Formats: sequence, C-alpha cells, structure tokens
Amino acid sequence: MRSLTLFAAYLSSIFTTAVADSNLSTPLSSHQILPDNFKPPEVFKNANLLRNINLEKGYVRETVNVVIENIDANEQDTYYIPFKAEAIGNVGGLEVKDKKDPEKPAFRSEVVEYDPYSPTQFYRVTLPVPLAPSAQQTLAISYHVLSALAPLPAAINQQDKQYLHYTFSTYWPSAYLTEKQKTKVKFSTADVPGFTAEPLREGKTFTYGPFEKTPAGVEQEASVRYESTRPVIHATLLERDIEISQWGGNLATEERYWLTNKGAHLSGHFSRVEWARTQHYNPPTSALRMLTLPLQVGSLNPYFTDDIGNVSTSRFRSNIREANLELKPRYPLFGGWNYSFKVGWDASLGGFLRKLKNGDGYVLRVPFLEGPKMSEGISYEKVDLRVILPEGAT
Amino acid sequence: MAVEVLEPFLKGDTGRNTRGLLRLIILCTIAAAAVASRLFSVILDPWFNFRATKYLVQNGFYSFWDWFDDREASHPVAQLVYEPRKPAEEPKRTRTWHPLGRVTGGTLYPGLMVTSGIIYHVLRFLSMPVDIRNICVLLAPGFSGLTAFASYLITSEMTTSPSAGLLAAIFMGITPGYISRSVAGSYDNEAIAIFLLVFTFFLWIKSVKNGSAMWGALTALFYGYMVSAWGGYVFITNLLPLHTFVLICMGRYSPRLYVSYSTWFALGTLASMQVPFVGFLPIRSSDHMSALGVFGLLQLVAFVEFIRQQVPNKQFQTLLRGLIFVVFVVSMGVLVLLTVSGVIAPWSGRFYSLWDTGYAKIHIPIIASVSEHQPTAWPAFFFDLNLMIWLFPAGVYMCFQQLKDEHVFVVIYAVLASYFAGVMVRLMLTLTPVVCIAAALAISSILDTYLVAENPIPKETQANGQATSDSIKSAADVIKDSLRSTRNPVLGIYSYVSKASVVGAVTTYLLLFVLHCTWVTSNAYSSPSVVLASKLPDGSQHIIDDYREAYYWLRQNTPDKAKIMSWWDYGYQIGGMADRPTLVDNNTWNNTHIATVGKAMSSREEVSYPILRQHDVDYVLVVFGGLLGYSGDDINKFLWMVRISEGIWPDEINERNYFTARGEYRVDDEATPTMRNSLMYKMSYYNYNALFPAGQAQDRVRGSKLPAEGPQLSTLEEAFTSENWIIRIYKVKDLDNVGRDHGSAVAFDKGNKKKKTAKRRGARVLRVE
Amino acid sequence: MKLSGVLSLTLLSSLCLGAKRSSGGTFENYHAKSQSYAPLRLDDASYDELTATPRNHSVLVLLTALEARFGCQLCRDFQPEWDLLGRSWAKGDRHGDSRVLLGTLDFADGKGTFQKLMLQTAPIFLLFPPTSGRNAKPDGQPIRYDFTAGPQSAEQVVGWMSRYLPDGPKPAVQRPLNYVRIITVTTTLLGVLSFLSVAYPYILPVIQNRNLWAGISLITILLFTSGHMFNHIRKVPYVAGNGQGGISYFAGGFSNQFGMETQIVAAMYGTLSFATIALALRVPRMSDPKRQQLAVFIWGGVMFGMYSFLLSVFRIKNGGYPFHLPPF
Repeated sequence: MRSLTLFAAYLSSIFTTAVADSNLSTPLSSHQILPDNFKPPEVFKNANLLRNINLEKGYVRETVNVVIENIDANEQDTYYIPFKAEAIGNVGGLEVKDKKDPEKPAFRSEVVEYDPYSPTQFYRVTLPVPLAPSAQQTLAISYHVLSALAPLPAAINQQDKQYLHYTFSTYWPSAYLTEKQKTKVKFSTADVPGFTAEPLREGKTFTYGPFEKTPAGVEQEASVRYESTRPVIHATLLERDIEISQWGGNLATEERYWLTNKGAHLSGHFSRVEWARTQHYNPPTSALRMLTLPLQVGSLNPYFTDDIGNVSTSRFRSNIREANLELKPRYPLFGGWNYSFKVGWDASLGGFLRKLKNGDGYVLRVPFLEGPKMSEGISYEKVDLRVILPEGAT
Repeated sequence: MAVEVLEPFLKGDTGRNTRGLLRLIILCTIAAAAVASRLFSVILDPWFNFRATKYLVQNGFYSFWDWFDDREASHPVAQLVYEPRKPAEEPKRTRTWHPLGRVTGGTLYPGLMVTSGIIYHVLRFLSMPVDIRNICVLLAPGFSGLTAFASYLITSEMTTSPSAGLLAAIFMGITPGYISRSVAGSYDNEAIAIFLLVFTFFLWIKSVKNGSAMWGALTALFYGYMVSAWGGYVFITNLLPLHTFVLICMGRYSPRLYVSYSTWFALGTLASMQVPFVGFLPIRSSDHMSALGVFGLLQLVAFVEFIRQQVPNKQFQTLLRGLIFVVFVVSMGVLVLLTVSGVIAPWSGRFYSLWDTGYAKIHIPIIASVSEHQPTAWPAFFFDLNLMIWLFPAGVYMCFQQLKDEHVFVVIYAVLASYFAGVMVRLMLTLTPVVCIAAALAISSILDTYLVAENPIPKETQANGQATSDSIKSAADVIKDSLRSTRNPVLGIYSYVSKASVVGAVTTYLLLFVLHCTWVTSNAYSSPSVVLASKLPDGSQHIIDDYREAYYWLRQNTPDKAKIMSWWDYGYQIGGMADRPTLVDNNTWNNTHIATVGKAMSSREEVSYPILRQHDVDYVLVVFGGLLGYSGDDINKFLWMVRISEGIWPDEINERNYFTARGEYRVDDEATPTMRNSLMYKMSYYNYNALFPAGQAQDRVRGSKLPAEGPQLSTLEEAFTSENWIIRIYKVKDLDNVGRDHGSAVAFDKGNKKKKTAKRRGARVLRVE
Repeated sequence: MKLSGVLSLTLLSSLCLGAKRSSGGTFENYHAKSQSYAPLRLDDASYDELTATPRNHSVLVLLTALEARFGCQLCRDFQPEWDLLGRSWAKGDRHGDSRVLLGTLDFADGKGTFQKLMLQTAPIFLLFPPTSGRNAKPDGQPIRYDFTAGPQSAEQVVGWMSRYLPDGPKPAVQRPLNYVRIITVTTTLLGVLSFLSVAYPYILPVIQNRNLWAGISLITILLFTSGHMFNHIRKVPYVAGNGQGGISYFAGGFSNQFGMETQIVAAMYGTLSFATIALALRVPRMSDPKRQQLAVFIWGGVMFGMYSFLLSVFRIKNGGYPFHLPPF
C-alpha cells in the first residue's frame, strides 16, 4: 500500500482540544505570559454596546455588539476582553467577528495570562487590520459561559417546575470606558419570579439600561431566577474517534459520552408511578428522556451501547435527506444523575475524503463535533477528538 | 457389518485421501455451523467471571491466585475476620460477600479465566490484539466447535463407520441441550467444561484401547484441566473407575486397562490437587473414594493375574482369591471407619442430593432452591434433544452388539447420565454428549445399511442356502453371547423401494431436527437470563431490559462504595454490571450469610433494619414480576429465603406463618400478617397500588387482587424502580436525626404534611409501625 | 421375661413415688400418672385442669383425631412416634425435674376443647408454658405447632420443644431396638447368600447374558428419559380428571406431567427405538426379499406414525411448537 499523505493542516493524528476547561490548574497551552502588573492600555473606548444574554439553553450564551473607537494617537490592533478569574475557565467558544462583514473569518482571539492569582484574566483579540486613530469598528463578540447556572431550589420534586438562577453584571465587563450600553436578557418562558436591579420586562425579555459612561472594570451585580423545566445536559467528557479505513472505504465514528444532568436534584426519590403517569401527556420535565443525534446523511450501522452492553432503546431513521439517531438512555436522567454511553456509526469514506489535485495527498473533511441536537442545548466540559489514520499514513 | 458393503466404494490411496479431505471439510463446516448457531445474541453473563478474567489479564496469574475480592481494610468486621492484615497491603475493594470479602483465587474454578487469558496472550503474541471482552463472549461458541470435533473423535472410536462420527459432530454442534449453555456471551464454566468432558472421555477410551501410558497421561492432563474448570469433574472421577470396575467384573481385566487406569489415577489426582479450590479433596472426600478404591482393587487384580501366570496351582489361586476378598472387605471397612471418624469428608451435599432425592429439600434448602437443581420433566428432554431421545436407546442397544471395552463405557455413561439428567435439569448437559454419540451410531447404522447402491443377490439355490446356513452356524459359534437380533449374518436390503422409503423418512426426521434446533435456539436460548424477550402482537420482538436498566442506574448514580443487598441469585450480576459490592452472590459458600439475607427479607422492618445497619447495607434490591407477569421474581422465591433462614433461626422465622390457615401461599387480602409485614412483601408491593384505580391492584404472576391498602415502609425509601417494575431498589434510611424510630418519624411527617388526611384517617397513621 | 420384670418394677416404684407426692398438686398427680402411662390420655376435664392458670409446669398437648372415621392419616402416622416420645420422656425424667407433662387429647374425648379452640385440623401441638414459678411466662398463651411439613419424627418434636422449654432436663428419644427387623434382615441376607451359592452355576449364564443386560439398560434409560425421577421427587398424581368426567392423560404445561403420561411417553420412545433397531439390525439380516420388504414397510410405518404422534403430544405440552408430521 502506498503511503498516504493527509493534507490537513490542523489535523494531527491525535488532536486534543478543550472547548472549555473548568479546571484551571491545568492552564491552556495557548496562554501567553504577560508581565505581572499588566493592565490593558486605555487605547479604545466602546462607543456603543448592545449585549444579549441568552438563557434559553442549558448554558449561557452572550452576544455583544460593540462599536469600538481608537482613542489613542497610534494605530491599535489589540483589544482586551476581561473576565473574572473564576469565570474564565467556563468561558468557551469565544469568537470575535466584524459585524459589518460576518462572512470574514473570525479574528484571532486567545487567553492571555500574566498572573495566575489575579482576579481578572483577559482574552486578547487581535484585529487583522489595525484601527487608525479615531476610527471606529463594530465587533460582534460571542461566547458561552458554562456551569454558571444553578438550580434554585437545588432539589425539587419529580413533577415540580425547575428554576435556574443566574448572576451576572448588568454592565458588560470591559477594559475600556463605555459610552453607552444596554443589556438584554432573553428567557425561554415569561415565568421569572425573582430578579434584581429593576429591568424593563417585556414578555420573555428583560432589558437593563441603557447606561451612560460606564468606566472600565465597573460591575453592577444582578441576578435572575427563571423557570426552565428541562434538563441541563452537561458532558463532563466526550471522546470522539474518527477512524479512516482506506481499505474498506469506511469512515467509522465513535463517540463516548459521560453525561450528567446539572439540573435540580430530586428532593425525594425517583417514583416510577409518577413517572409512568406523566408519560401519557408528556409534560416538561427536568429529566433527560431522549437524545437526538442528527448524523451526516448516508450514515450506516449505528450502535448504541454502554458499559454493560447493547442498549435496546434506540431508533435510527435514515433517508436521503436526513439520518437521525434517537437514543433513549436506560433510565430518565434526573438532576445529579449520570449516564455514560457509546455511540458509533459508519459512513462511506467517499463523501469525506478528497484527493489532492497534485495527486500525492488527501483532504479529509469531517465535522469537529456532531453530537446530540437538543432544544435545551448541551454543554461539553472536555472534548477529546482523535483522528485515526490508516496504517502507514504520514 | 454394513460398512463392509461400503468398502469398495472408494478404494485405494486416492480414495482414502479424498475421503480424508472430505471429512475434514465436513468437520470444519460442522464446527462453523456450531459456532454460527450460537451467535443469535451477544450479552455477557455472568459478569463475575468476566471481571475475574479481566483481573487475571491485567494483573497476571499469580496476583489472580491471591486476588482477595474485598474492599475496605478499615471495616471492623472484615478486620475481625481476616486478622492479621499486613499494614503495607494496599487497600483493595470488596466486591462480593460483604463484609467477609472473598479469596477469589481459592474459591473458584479458574480454568475458564485462565483459558481466556491464554487465548488473549497468544493472540497478542501473534500481533492480533483482541479485546478480552470479545474473547470472553466468543469463548463458548468457539469451544462448542471443538466439542463437535471431540465427539467426532470419540464416536469414531466406537464404530468403523465414518459417517457416525460426522453425525455425532453435527448433533453435538446443534443440539439445543448444549446450545442452551454455550450461546455467545454465556461465559460460564460449562462453556469449556463440556468440551473437556468429551475430550477426556475420548482420551480415556483411546488409552484403554491401546493400553498406552501416553494416552493415559493425556487423559490425566485433560482431567486436570477439567478439574480446574468445572465442579462437574466429579462425574469423570466416578465414571472412569466405574468403567474399570465393570470391566474387571466382566472378567476383562487386561494389562492395557491396568496401564491406562493407573496412569490416569496417579497423574490425574496429582493434577487435580493443583487447583486450590480442590486442594486435598481428592484424598479426603468420599466423592473421590471410588477412584481410590478401584485403584486398589486394580492393583490386587493385577497381582493375582501375575501370580496366576507364575503359579498354575488351583488351590493356591482359590486361597489367593479369598485373601483378596478379605483385603477388599477390610479396606472398605477402614474407609467407612475413616469416614465416620471424620478424616474423610462425607459426600458433599450437592452430590449426595443426587442419590437421595429427598435429602436436599430437608437438609440443604439452598441447593434445592436453585431452579437448575429441579428434576426434569419429559418435555424438557424432548425439547433439548428432539429425535435423539428415541434414537438414544437404539444406539445404546447397538453398543451391545460388539460390546468392546469402549462400548461398555458408553452404556455405563448412558445409564448414569440419564439418571442424573432426570434428577437435575442442569445435568442434562452431561447427558447430551452420550445421547449424540448413541444417536449417531443408530442413524449411521441405518444409513449405512440403506444407502447402498447395489442389491444383494437373493439366495435361492439350494446349494447357496446350505452354505448360508453353514455360515450362520459358524457365525453363531464365533459370537456366542451376541444379541438376539444380530445372530444372523448381514445380507443387505433387496429392494430400492425399501431403501428409498427408509432413507427418505430418516432424511425427513433429520431435517425436522435441524428445524427444531433452529427454532429452539432462536426462541428459547438466544436471550440470556438478564434480558427478557417478548413478542408483540404484530410479531416484532420487544426486549424487556429492566435488569440492565436498574444495574446501570446503580452503577452510575450510587456512591462507589454503596453496598447492595439482594437475594443471592443476583449477586454476580450486581457485582458485574452494577459494579457494586454485594452481601451474597451465586457462589457464596457461607450458609449463614445467605440465611442472614433471608432473615432480613422475611422479617418485620423492626427486625430487618438492625440487620441491614449491621451489614452496612445502603441499598436493597428486589425483583418483582407482578406488573409484567414475570414469574421468576422474588416473591416466588420467597419461601426459600424463609426456609433457609428458618434453618438458622428456627425461633424467629417460621415457614408456617407465611401460609394462611388453610395452608395457602397468598399475597392478597388473606395473606398472613407475617407475610404482609415481611420486608420482601412490603418492598415488592410498595406503591404498587398507585398504578391502578383504587382497589384494583392486580398481581399478574400470582393472579390475585392485592389489598386495597398498600404496604407502608418506614425504614427504607424507594430509590429506583425499573420501567416494568421488575427491579425495585430501596435505600436504607439513616438513623433519624432526632433519634426517633423511623415509624414514628414517618407518622410525624405524614401528620405534618397532610393534617387533614391525617385527621380523617387517624387510625391508619397510628397503626403504622 | 426379664424385660417385663424390669418394667413392672419401675412401674411399682413410680407408683410408690407417685403416691408419696400425690398431695403435691396437679403436676405431681399427673406426673405420677404419666409414669405408668405416657403420654397421658386427656379428656376435656383433665385438659382444663392441666392447662388452668396459674400453673407451675409446662404442658405439651397433642390434639389429634385417631378414629378411622376422621380419616386423619397424619394423626395415625404420627401416633407411634408420639408414644415413643412420651415413654422416653417419662423414663428419662422420673422425678419430674423438667416439670413438663405430655398429653394426648383425642377428638373423641375432647370435642369441647376442639370447639373451644375452633380447631379445624389435626394434629396440632399446643405447648403451654408455666405461668408461675421460676420460668414463668407472663401471658401463658400456648405455642402452636402445625404439621405443615408432613409427619415428624420424635426427635424433631423434641428439638422443637426444647427451643421453647425453660432449662431443665430434656430426655433424648430412646428408640427400642427393632429385634424383629434385625432378625428378618439377617435371615433374608443369609437366605439370599445361600441361594446364590447353590444356584450359582445356573445364575451365571443369566448374569452373563448380554440380552438381559441390554434389556435392563434400555428400560432404565427409557424410564429416566421419560421423566420418572420427576414423578418420584415431585410425587405427581398418576392421572387426573379433565373436569368433564373423563381422564386427562397429559398434564397441561411444559414442566408438569402425570405418572401415566410418562409411561405413555416411555412406551412411545420404546416403540421408536425398537423400530430403529429393527430397521438397522434385523431387516438387513432377513433372507427373504418379500418378507424383508414387508418388514421395512411395517417398521418404517410404525416409526413414522409414532413420531408423528409424539410430536403432536409435544405440541400439547408446548403451545407454540410449530412442527408436525402428517397423520397427527
């Protein structure tokens, strides 16, 4: 067999990434060491800022549209976003784009470190084109915060509504002076029994502000407690193997999940009677009942097993438009309960592998993350992706 | 013999090679079919064996030997029992027999695990890394292929007909009686033991035929392997001496017999003593004494034979015979004396219960409680063996035709094994090989007779007739004591019509047999005990997977050290699938320990709770089939728990109290108070009423309406119930914070929460214990 | 002779003892009586007297119904054991140290008591603990023992008693040597031995007869494979009615059978085996082609028909069994 070259710049044979690593004792490798007394230079100001906090899912998703202006005399290209030290480990998927031109690739952004004990840590965003003095640019910053939602009360009865509690600052934490800002919070229901800081309530949306001239680093704490009777699915670990078999023309994917429901625990114990009774009309529940995995069209031979063998409660619907794998865990997953399992499937390699034009290599194109698609969202603490190349590939 | 007719069929070297090749191909096909027919489902069971194998593979053979399956060094009881414990010893984890723990290496038959371990290492050495789990799953089917081969070999020793061996192989490969124990994933001792059984018998026959020490040593080797693999080795230990004894009685003593038996006995006993679990049993327990006795007898007989050859004096011989008789009687007396005085252990209970069928029920309820130890009804024989069950006597009869040493063996084996199989369902497994052999002999003899192309010439001329009658006479002279039906010489079948009709009928029967096997396998034996399969009205299969649902729940959602109490049948499964320590499991040898669990289950909550606390039980698991109509549940096994604990605590537990005045075992309104207050009853029916409209609760196993008022639990709380209610798990409550007893705490909570209902049903709340 | 002498002596001495103590109270009175005739035969009055509170002794009463018209087989089976127990107890406890009285109340003598206790079944043991004295139990309610597990041996009853009785002597059961049995066994054994030694030359050919052994083996195998041991262990009925006045030969259910059913099955197996043997061994040895042809058809037909019938019987036992052969 002739040696294969896989031309895939970012794919090494073992490729580990951390979407969000809450464990700060193992710092991310991309940290840049900055001097201890680092403070972002006051070279920008936020002319106008609109922040959306989306609480519809099991994690927090924030989108910030900000117009930044260079107030320095020189061209500037480094924009810092501060986070609290205890929170930065839970921030994931931070992406900064040009609002005017969202088609462009995202700007380079990375965590920088200068003092592991400092209460504030930064993300550094590097603008591809330095901003001229007094020039303005609109950034679309988006990120999600994991493990920030806590059920309150922490234990509920099996059929009770579940309420989540979220504490945040009504001012966006910024390293720069902000001229004008507004924070919007979006819930999935209008049932929000507890909140502070007097927002403007409009149905499912709360609006804080507008606030004028907030200086850098100022915070105003606010909290909301809102209904969200749905599981808070959290994968403490996802191991994802993609194995290429040139021989059989097969692309085998296997995913191993360690799921837990971070929602409210059961205050009593699980009652099968109540559970069976409510199965008929399917009310919202804090328990995870089923996972749906939309697979790539053309996937075959799915399997769903766990440590003790095949789980017989899965369904695979496949046609030319879609291939959905519906998985039912062995038992409903209530708050605090865990479930680990393994799913895998095959696909014809042809759809994913393309020969290079110059003829001495292949390009593999696979999704980084597939995973269950749930309306309540799913958060991953750690994802471990391995691409296993055929024997002899270089 | 009919085979002689076949001889000209393919003659010469080419013919032999062709036939050899053909036979090999057929054998391989049979083995493949045997393996394939066992792959209907793949679920590993029992898990304990798998766990042990994993430990063996990970930690090597010697640490497996010393594997003490325990958990907390700090546990007081464990320390009491296993003092002194080296402080340097790393804390290990108890998985079984809490709080005693289990010296696993010394209390199991390691053959199965070691076999998988060796296969694993060999495959790795051949750079074929295979997951140990896959080896465990496929071990039983793989060995069933080997068993088919072994039965080919042993049958070929019985007859000159080559087709008999092949038929025996295919019978062995697909008979449901064997498939039931060797489907993929049934990772139990029997998986390899049956192969070893058949192969040891083959080697024994080979060695008796040849009188060769090499074959005898091989027999001993495989016997040792068998000892390390299955407790059923006692069957071999007694069958071989019996065979020898019968041969001696028949006056068939020969140096061949002497060499093979002596070799086997000496080496085999040594080999069997290498297994720690067996240890010194071969020289100390009655189960093994027959082998020793026959060994002694054989020496005497050999001595006499030797003397007889040297001294042709008749009187002297008589004297010698008397002497030998005296020696024999004296040694028997000594044996009995030793047994009485306790130097030699008496028959082990399980073995004893085979002879005295009423014994187990009275003295060892634990053994009698196991469903596999029940007697076998005739449909089970037919179900497992189909047409072979009536070919079997015919085959045995054919063994009387020649009655060489090996045929004697088959006859003894057939009679004994059919007795054992009749007494215990489980021993159907030992009957299966001999049934296959005998049935193959019968069928092949029919086929060899009727599948001959040329017809004999009818002897009509007078001269010929004279010759025939002469030959008849001479034949009758040669085999004087032959069977009545075989006194005349074989002539053959004259007409094609008879040939066609018989062959056609036999083919039909065989095809029916194949259909039967397929049907049985796909219906009855393909789903291991842990999964229940049922057919929906539309014909599709519905799997009831409650066991694994609950075990996985335990595994994922309880603390790692949580101790689970359940009846011992589920011990292995909990240990394996839920990965939690259990109080008792399928191999618990400590009767008191099992009885403790039985007592906790059958007593009132006030009595059970201290027991649960003493044994650090966190969760109690019961199996309840009332909703689904699953009859293998704990309420049906409950009387055994009562009986076993009554054996230890006759003052506290009394079986009578669980029956109504009219002697009925009931769970409805008329159930006795003892029954309704027992922990088992309460746990089974707790909250079950809520599933039904008021007063309509139905138990579908017992087919009875339950009391309108469900049981109340105060010291346990329901933790999990599986989808079809088959498994119910209860958490043992901690001691009350305020120091109240649980009954009043529950009553207080109830009163607090529902003041109004409490008032209205005041009496009920007060009645709660 | 000697034995009876000893007996009468003990009787006499016990009578004397009894006479001496007769003034002592209920226990002493009855204990003296029990020395001559144990266990005591009670009636309603003596039962009431014995069990009246306060009492400083224990009483074990067997409530039984010995008369044939009650048809209590269990009562009659147990009675010898009970008598044995009573005698051993009386002998072992001459001075009444155990303070236990054993009595029998037959239904014929104590209808009133049976009615009072609302007893429907017999036999039943009632053990009355003492209500006064050193080992008194406050409530004095009797402990009841039912014969649920069939007839019990005297030893088992003593075992049960001693669990509930206060400390004190508990005489073990002494079984008298069964001389008759010993003599019978010895004689039979000797007879058989002598017969064997005389008839040895005639028996030997029989023992060495292959046909005989073959027959024995086949019968044993057929017996066992048709589920005889199941009948033996489970004690199944021989046949049962089908509810409409007829007889049902085959029990319903896979793991259920009747005695007769197994015999039918054994006969079927036997016929099939015999047909096989005939086809395989006998037929090819026939010299006349015509007769051979006929034999093949007969045996083949028998085999086919019988197997078909066997399958149909099996379908009765196992509802979902899908296979069958034409005639049945």
